[in-house]
Amino acid sequence: MAPPTPAYRPRKKRKSAALFTNSNSSLIVGAGEGKSAPTFPLVSFLWGTRTGVSQWLLLPLVLMTVGLFRWGVSLWGYSGFQVPPLHGDFEAQRHWMEITVHLPLSKWYTYDLQYWGLDYPPLTAYHSWLLGNIGSVFDPTWFALDASRGLEDPLLKAFMRATVIISEYLVYIPAIVTFLRRYARMQAVPVWSASIALSAILLQPATILIDHGHFQFNTVMLGLFVASLDAILAGRMLWACIFFVGALGFKQMALYYAPVMFAFLLGVCIFPRIRILRLLCISLVTIAAFAVLLIPLILGATGAEARKNLTSAPEPPLLQALPIELDQGSSSYAILFQVTQVIHRIFPFSRGLFEDKVANAWCAIHTFYKLHRFESDFLKRVSLGATLVSISIPCAIIFRHPRASLLLPAFATVAWGFFLFSFQVHEKSVLLPLLPMTLLIAGDGGLDKNTRSWVGWANMLGSWTLYPLLKRDGLRVPYFVITCLWAYLLGLPPTSWQIYSHQDSSDASPHELTRVIHSTFYLAMFGWHVLEAFVSPPPGKPDLWVVLNVLIGAGGFGISYLWCLWRLINQSWRMDHRAEVQKKRK
Amino acid sequence: MYPTLTQCAIVATAFKILLFPAYKSTDFEVHRNWLAITHSLPVKEWYYEKTSEWTLDYPPFFAAFEWVLSQLARYADPAMLVVKNLNYDSWQTIYFQRSSVIVTELVLLYALNKFVKSVPYPSQHLAHAASLSILLSPGLFIIDHIHFQYNGFLYGILILSIVWARKQSTLLYSGIAFAVLLCLKHIYLYLSLAYFVYLLRVYCLDPKSVFRPRIWNAIKLGMSVTTVFGLAFGPFASWGQLLQLKGRLFPFSRGLCHAYWAPNVWAIYSFTDRILIPFAPRLGLPVNDDALSSVTRGLVGDTSFAVLPEISKEHTFGLTLIFQLLPLIKLWRRPNPDTFIGALTLCGYASFLFGWHVHEKAVLLIIIPFGLIALKDRRYFSAFRPLAVAGHVSLFPLLFTAAEFPLKTIYTLFWLILFLFVFDRIAPVPERPRIFLVDRFSLLYITVSIPLIVYCSLVHQLIFGLEQYQFLPLMFTSSYSALGVVGSWVGFMVVYFTA
Repeated sequence: MAPPTPAYRPRKKRKSAALFTNSNSSLIVGAGEGKSAPTFPLVSFLWGTRTGVSQWLLLPLVLMTVGLFRWGVSLWGYSGFQVPPLHGDFEAQRHWMEITVHLPLSKWYTYDLQYWGLDYPPLTAYHSWLLGNIGSVFDPTWFALDASRGLEDPLLKAFMRATVIISEYLVYIPAIVTFLRRYARMQAVPVWSASIALSAILLQPATILIDHGHFQFNTVMLGLFVASLDAILAGRMLWACIFFVGALGFKQMALYYAPVMFAFLLGVCIFPRIRILRLLCISLVTIAAFAVLLIPLILGATGAEARKNLTSAPEPPLLQALPIELDQGSSSYAILFQVTQVIHRIFPFSRGLFEDKVANAWCAIHTFYKLHRFESDFLKRVSLGATLVSISIPCAIIFRHPRASLLLPAFATVAWGFFLFSFQVHEKSVLLPLLPMTLLIAGDGGLDKNTRSWVGWANMLGSWTLYPLLKRDGLRVPYFVITCLWAYLLGLPPTSWQIYSHQDSSDASPHELTRVIHSTFYLAMFGWHVLEAFVSPPPGKPDLWVVLNVLIGAGGFGISYLWCLWRLINQSWRMDHRAEVQKKRK
Repeated sequence: MYPTLTQCAIVATAFKILLFPAYKSTDFEVHRNWLAITHSLPVKEWYYEKTSEWTLDYPPFFAAFEWVLSQLARYADPAMLVVKNLNYDSWQTIYFQRSSVIVTELVLLYALNKFVKSVPYPSQHLAHAASLSILLSPGLFIIDHIHFQYNGFLYGILILSIVWARKQSTLLYSGIAFAVLLCLKHIYLYLSLAYFVYLLRVYCLDPKSVFRPRIWNAIKLGMSVTTVFGLAFGPFASWGQLLQLKGRLFPFSRGLCHAYWAPNVWAIYSFTDRILIPFAPRLGLPVNDDALSSVTRGLVGDTSFAVLPEISKEHTFGLTLIFQLLPLIKLWRRPNPDTFIGALTLCGYASFLFGWHVHEKAVLLIIIPFGLIALKDRRYFSAFRPLAVAGHVSLFPLLFTAAEFPLKTIYTLFWLILFLFVFDRIAPVPERPRIFLVDRFSLLYITVSIPLIVYCSLVHQLIFGLEQYQFLPLMFTSSYSALGVVGSWVGFMVVYFTA
């Protein structure tokens, strides 16, 4: 049995070697002519490692560098700094640490809801409880019940900033690193390119600015999502379910990813052949994971004290809507009360179609055609319908072709669909579509001019639409520094137009249409910054610049949606085609 | 050679801009005050003004430099230029002052670029790596961009002068640049003997024979240096203010050790003194009771020792001079550019290790010239390694706020891992065999730094709280660093004299 193996091996080796040069050719200019140079600055920073350096050395250095930039941003202002009485997201997170540390579980979701009542899923609550307890070791006054509201101590700030960065390094970063390692191996991407992609992904400007500037814990949710992706690549579907439930349980925003996850897991059980047992396992594990997530809260709702606490609060509308009648004194009533209250808090159906100014379809339409005239129920139905239409194609594709290699464009498309058309979108939600889209640069040919230009452009646009928010938080300087740094490192405008040049006519360079679209948007963004900085808006229209930002942003995100969709269709079509060719050969 | 110096400078600048709101020491207010003094007072009063306790105590060219900056500062925020606005730090002031440090550091970038080009091609990659290590130096990062000073700019001039000293045709410029540097900051007097010997030997005398003086060269150099000093001090001399300037520039009323002991011989001396106190009665040594309370509190003033003999200014001066002269003898006999940089480094060592009232920040005076030749071969690198660790760790106590703790430690760690690894990879094999033991010693030494930093920054506070025994971590840090600096000094002396 020995002879066939050696005959097979050399061929494989040759193939991978060819792939290697192919993948590196997008990183090195003039490799054949003796005088090689990196194509964009990020490559030159890792230039010394192209002949191979231990990951044990490279990885810590990359992680330290990106960590330093994160900490640098965190020295600046945060959401709600010196804005009494409600402050902002920083105070919300601190307040949750305060209430979870001091109050019994039965009061977590009912306590003084007017002042930053807890409205994130249970995992955030447990996370807050843990951090609050750690923080109380340093200084209990930071989290003293009620007395600590609106506290702005520099030490507290350092502690809170450290919690974000430590949470990120414990969840997001390991997830990204392992995912990229697996993904690069799957796509036969050389280690060097993968390291460059890793550095680029960890320097995504919008994520850094929102989490470490504005103050949120998005990376924990995003990290759990990436861990779930990694589990899928590894073929561990059940772990994927658990991690994804974790992401959902940390921040409800992970719902943007849920349709694809659902379609994929269902598809895996049906194609190429139906596997009932797998389906059963997946559903059971998912339900069990949700149950585990809720158990502490449910246990906290039992007992006489808890029952009294809960029944003294107003009954959640969801419970009222339930057709069953329960005795108010029974423990099952208390449990049901607790669960429905949590759901009621997490999903604020009673709020408007969109909040503030966000670069999605509704806000853009609203600018020209006021949407107040319609009833809120009607708007909700329209928004639901539009979202479903926008996500139906990617979900159908991923359901029919449950392939790991199609997941990233599918996730990106669906998340863009949600961002553009769904209900109650925040400007910060742009991080969700940006993550899978940015991960594309780690794939085969991901660092070539075409993909790099699109991913880079979407990220630039994404952080640009966050500018009005960041400006309010006093984060103007970090915004310019971090976005320009990303643009510089990836060789994008405004630092370099090299990426759109005609010089080398390799097929990977961007299409003419791409060039026109991107150039227009870059010019618009630049012009907008000039306008915003030097021209005051006309009287009576104080929000004009913000509205303009939203309009341009919505247009760009629409294009990003189409690009991701096109890429998904293209990839799946090529996959079909290849399968057909192989079938014919047989 | 990638990444280029410019690319690194761009990314480093992005990071430095993010540090604008970071902790800033009183030096920020010192420099703001100087901006105000030079802007709003006639030159005659610059060295007499004392509204603020941070009076002007740098030489005239630095005052002029502040005057130039103040012309621009007007447009940022005129309020910072008012002498009475003590501790004024509006956002505009911070933006202006911090960015002035970043912009003037371009001199360093330019000088390092020149340095790389001045090196012959086959070893240019070594010069490139060395230049990157200086450009990204945690010393400059901590002292200039957080603590607040203008060292990047000043060391840029020093390196420029060193580069000019490498070629016979530019030796005159080297002398002029160094004279200008002295008129900017007089701490560089510590290096002046090496310059004197080197320029005298290779510029004023014939390189081949000591007995053939080149009179015309000597006149040119003498005239230029006199002109520079005349420009700087002339006006003040004509107003009869030289004594006042001397009093401001050389405040000899201070004690042997700075508030926090710089890691030099006197730190080891003080540490030994502390250790000896409990044993003194048994050994039959007399104990000076006055000293028991003073040293550890580290007040600026006279340092006194409990057991060991007192050290006078004359002692420190004598020791510094002796240890400066030793390497200069070799420089006189073999004057070549690399020996010159070695001699500069050793002059820096001597004055740092034995000087009177040395600041911990002066360690840059050793690290930066040494950095230029650390890659000459592996023996140089072995001597450089403990210095790189000790010198930078000794700067940690400069920043003591919680938010800056990760900055200083992670950045220094990053630099140490990156450059010690890169240097280790590319340093060429020496012509002479290495001393095996030294390597083991330095490895052990570097390893000890980890528990030390952990103890000083965390464990100590958990055990004793924030208030008690504050001097203990400082004493450990400075004694530890002193050991490293002394060790690397001994190592480098051996390398220098056997090369």
